[in-house]
Amino acid sequence: MVLAILAGGRGDASTSTDAARPPGCLSMNIHFRIPAKLFKELHADLSRPHPHAFERVAFLPSRPAALHGGGLLLVAHALHPVADDDYEPSTTVGALLRGAAFRKALQYAYNQPVSMFHVHRHEHKGQPRFSYVDLQESAKFVPDFWKVRPQHPHGTIVLSQNSAFGLVWYQAGRAPAPISKFTLVAHPLREVNHGGIR
Amino acid sequence: MAGSGRAARQSFLGEASEQIHTASEVAIVGVCGGGSHIAQQTAHVGVGRFLLLDDDHTDDPNLNRMVGSEPKHAEDKTPKVEVIRDLILRINPKAIVRAVGGKWQDHHLLLRDCTAVFGCVDSFLAREELERYCRRFLLPYIDVGMIVTSVGDHYAISGQVVTSLPGQPCMRCIGFLTDKILADEISRYGAAGSRPQVIWPNGVLSSTAVGLFIQLLTPWHRGELPLYLEYNGNTSTLTPSRLAEGARSRPCPHFSGLQDIGDTFWAGFPENVSRGCAPWTVPKRLLNRAIAWVSGSTNRDQAAIVLR
Repeated sequence: MVLAILAGGRGDASTSTDAARPPGCLSMNIHFRIPAKLFKELHADLSRPHPHAFERVAFLPSRPAALHGGGLLLVAHALHPVADDDYEPSTTVGALLRGAAFRKALQYAYNQPVSMFHVHRHEHKGQPRFSYVDLQESAKFVPDFWKVRPQHPHGTIVLSQNSAFGLVWYQAGRAPAPISKFTLVAHPLREVNHGGIR
Repeated sequence: MAGSGRAARQSFLGEASEQIHTASEVAIVGVCGGGSHIAQQTAHVGVGRFLLLDDDHTDDPNLNRMVGSEPKHAEDKTPKVEVIRDLILRINPKAIVRAVGGKWQDHHLLLRDCTAVFGCVDSFLAREELERYCRRFLLPYIDVGMIVTSVGDHYAISGQVVTSLPGQPCMRCIGFLTDKILADEISRYGAAGSRPQVIWPNGVLSSTAVGLFIQLLTPWHRGELPLYLEYNGNTSTLTPSRLAEGARSRPCPHFSGLQDIGDTFWAGFPENVSRGCAPWTVPKRLLNRAIAWVSGSTNRDQAAIVLR
C-alpha cells in the first residue's frame, strides 16, 4: 500500500499491480507532459541559490484533459516561481514557504483555469520519492487549490536531477493518485515510466 | 536489449532502443498511400503499439500504392485499417493494434496518449486541424504528403515531410500553411479532380518520416530534426526548406497561449474515473508506512532526518 503512493505505476489494468495504486482506488492512467523548454526553465529556477533556503520550490500551472478509458492527461503550461521573499527561514526543512507564496499560487489558479502543481527537487539521480514531510504538507496545501479551482485536479511533483515522480489530487476526500508517466516533449523524446528514465 | 533477435542490426540506436520502440505507440491518421508505408516500416523497426485511423475502405484505385492491399481487399471493400492491421501483425505478431474505421475526430481521445502522430491526410485543412489538435496535447506530429500537378505539357511531382514539435515552429511558422492556401483549398472544394497518387514518392516521403520518428525517439546523431523537407519528384531530391530553418529561432506565436493547450471545455473529472475510490481516511498510517518504505525503517524521526 505504501508503494502505491510512492512508487507509481501505469494505470491500465493489464500492467498495474495492487502495489502501484493508492489504497482502495481503481487504477488510473495519469500522463504528465511538459515541453523541454519549460522543463529546462523549471530546473534552472530550482537551481538558483537562495539567501537562506536550502532548496527552491516552484509551481507549474497545467491544463487537464481526459484520456480514453478514464485516464487523465496533464499538460504543463508555464512556470510560476516562488519569490525570494516568500521563503521563511528554517533549520528543519529545506524550504519553508510563507503564506504569501501560496496566496500568489492560489491567485494564479483563481484567475486562470489551471491545475496547479507544486514542484521541488531532490539532489540525486534516479527516481525521487516524497519524504514524510513532503507527503504530510502536500496533503494539507494541495486540496486548498480546490477552493479557487474546484473542478481541476491539482498535485505535487518531486524531481531528481534526471527523473520525476508526482501525485495528483483529483477529488476531495479521495486518495491522491500517482502520475503514471512523465513525457518530456523534446528531441529526443524522453519518458519517465515506472520510475525509470530513458 | 538491442542486439537480440530482430533488433540485432539496429543496435546503434541505443542499448534501450528495442524497449523504447516496443513501448511506443504511433498513431497513423490515414493508412493508404503514405500511412501504409509508415505502418509497415514502424512495424519492422519494432514499434509495439499502433493506433490506425481511417474511415475509408479499400478500392481498386488504392491498389497502385497502398502497401499490403490485394485485389481481394478491393473486391470485398475491406476497411483500410483492417488491411493495415493485418499487415502489421504479419510483421510483428506481438504488436498491439487498435484499428479504428472512422474519422479521427470521432475517436480523438485515443490520440492523446500516443507517443507521436503521423498525418497522412489529403488536404491542407485536414493537416491544420490535426496539427492544432496535436499541439493542444503536446503530441509530436509528423506530416507526409505528395501532389502531382500539371505544368504545361508535363507533370511535376512534389511533396513534403514536416516535423511539428510542441515548442518549435508550427506549419504556419514555416510557411507550409497560410490563410491563402487554406482559402484557395476551400474555394476549390468539390473540384478536387482525380488527385493522382503514386507509390514511389509516398515511399520516399514515408521512409523519411519514419527515420525522423526514430531520430526523435532513439537518436543516432546529434543533429536537429529538419522542420520541413521539400520533395521534388522530378529531380528525386529532398531538401530542407531554408524558409523553415529561418523560423527555427523564432518562438511560435500560433500555439503559445493557455487557451491553446489542454481541454478548453474541462469541467471536472468524469464520474466513472473516481467511482470506486475509497476516501483517504488513514493518512497517518499511510504516511508512517511510507516512511518505513523510503527509509527502510519504521522510525519516523529517523526517516525524517534521513530524508530532509
